[in-house]
Amino acid sequence: MVAAIPPVSAGLLLDLVDSVRRVPTGRSVSIDFGTCDRDAALELISAWCLSSGNEIVKTEGSAVTVLHGRSPDPLAGLDPDQLPGSRVWVYTNFDCNLACDYCCVRSSPKAERRAIGADRLRQIATEAAAAEVTELILTGGEPFLLNDLDELVKTCTDKLPTTLLTNGMLFRGSRLERLRRMDRSRLTLQISLDSATPDIHDSHRGAGSWVKAVAGIRTAHDEGFRVKVAATLPADQMHELEPFHGFLDTLGIVRHDQVIRALAHRGVAETGIELTVDSLIPEVTITADGVYWHPVAADHDDQFVTRDIFPLADAIAEITRQFMEHRRSANAIAEWFPCA
Amino acid sequence: MNAPLTIGSVAYSPNVVPIWEGMRDYFAETSTPIDFLLFSNYASLVDALIAGTVDLAWNTNLAWVRTVAQTDGACRALASRDTDLVFQTVFVARTGSGFTGLASLRGRRLVLGSRDSAQAAILPLHFLREAGLNETDVALTRINSDVGKHGDTGRSELDALRAVLDDRADAAAIGINTWQAIGRGELLPGAFESFWASPEYSHCTFTAMPALSIDRSDEWTANLLAMDWENPQHRPILEMEGLRAWVPPKLDGYAGLVEAVREQKIPDRW
Repeated sequence: MVAAIPPVSAGLLLDLVDSVRRVPTGRSVSIDFGTCDRDAALELISAWCLSSGNEIVKTEGSAVTVLHGRSPDPLAGLDPDQLPGSRVWVYTNFDCNLACDYCCVRSSPKAERRAIGADRLRQIATEAAAAEVTELILTGGEPFLLNDLDELVKTCTDKLPTTLLTNGMLFRGSRLERLRRMDRSRLTLQISLDSATPDIHDSHRGAGSWVKAVAGIRTAHDEGFRVKVAATLPADQMHELEPFHGFLDTLGIVRHDQVIRALAHRGVAETGIELTVDSLIPEVTITADGVYWHPVAADHDDQFVTRDIFPLADAIAEITRQFMEHRRSANAIAEWFPCA
Repeated sequence: MNAPLTIGSVAYSPNVVPIWEGMRDYFAETSTPIDFLLFSNYASLVDALIAGTVDLAWNTNLAWVRTVAQTDGACRALASRDTDLVFQTVFVARTGSGFTGLASLRGRRLVLGSRDSAQAAILPLHFLREAGLNETDVALTRINSDVGKHGDTGRSELDALRAVLDDRADAAAIGINTWQAIGRGELLPGAFESFWASPEYSHCTFTAMPALSIDRSDEWTANLLAMDWENPQHRPILEMEGLRAWVPPKLDGYAGLVEAVREQKIPDRW
């Protein structure tokens, strides 16, 4: 004989009101509905929260955590360009002419290409524009290894302002011709350079690479492109930047186009800062394999979001949803620990 | 720069500190800055107001009536919440209990909230008397929790509803705010229904003594009434305190309570 499930009781409603009243707005309480019918209990608690201006923040078994009041907008306080989907990163390919010892996605001449392809990139650009994305950022691997890069870039710049990340070492021959066909009014080149002198840069990226990168910066400038320079430095060197900035000034790179970022412990990097989904503001990143949380981990399962790139708006919405959940959890943790 | 006015309030809810800190921040930007003192009960708050320890008291309706009685009417009511002008007592029972009005309580069991709660004890007896019932016509149970806070915590009213659910009473008298808090019987239609609601009466009000000049209290009241529900800085404070707008008080809304206090010989120090 199966025991009957007791229906939801009005006592639960009274307990709910009583418990929530006992904590200040912004705090949470846990209510256990015991052996009551689960669906009916959750329906009652949800309806009460809706009518009383409170919020269910978690349901686990028969315990429901209710926030007194409404939670603040978890995205409040972010700059507009930090909102998920304000920019979309695309890995055009993963193969590279270099094998940097800190590459976050393990690119090298031996890496599989895993190209995004013209058709997918066109659809990404089209859907990104429709989804109110403000900028596309193309990266790799080394995008200039692709023989159709000028066409790929055009599909992007036709729709949105675009930034193309490169090591700047391949601006010769047919590749230079491809560069020249790109839309200077809509495209920014971001070239990697790690130091003011060759030693540090070459120690990570290979002998002779610094000279070629600096030459690439000058070529890009000469061709009329806006050039940003991005350096990747160990966190303990982030305080010794002025000589480097001074050198970039001499190359004609304006200060707000001098991007210095800390080395991340990702890919083949043996050290660096740890970046996890719950500590990292997402930047929607698309590869041939699907959608990732952030470009720094576009080769790592822990930041894989979905295989479905399209509809792109859905992928952006999913990352936004997960981000809001992380922010709420972080707020909840902040709520609990100060009293401990 | 004027010295801050000291506002006295009873700590009836865990939200009291954020409410008054929010009010203090708001008034800091006005011509009438404030600070606040918290009390554990309304008797002490009224004492402090009369003694001049605080300039203004955030009084319940009973505390206002007791202040009027103790000052021979010298005190002034300055402002209330919009929700204070339309307060009601609601009589509720389990759905299908067969109550049709106060008269049908004759011979039945009624549970009241704290003895110092105007909405859940003092006025319900007054309404029964007006309906021709005295305390011997109805089997009364009182749930005296949080005495001293004039029913502000609402705990005795929730306990009264539990008494109805547990069949320790047939009906309960509660404030409209508690009735609203449990969804007015609409969330669980088979659980509770209301069978009588009182006329609207006045509840809380800011109270001042003559020692506070009219000019100063008028200036403070004008600043209070300027709080705006549409202002995102003001709204969280108003939401926590349960109002959309501060309004001038409605003094004739206290007449029923004055009469009830007289009828029931309510002590001065409740």
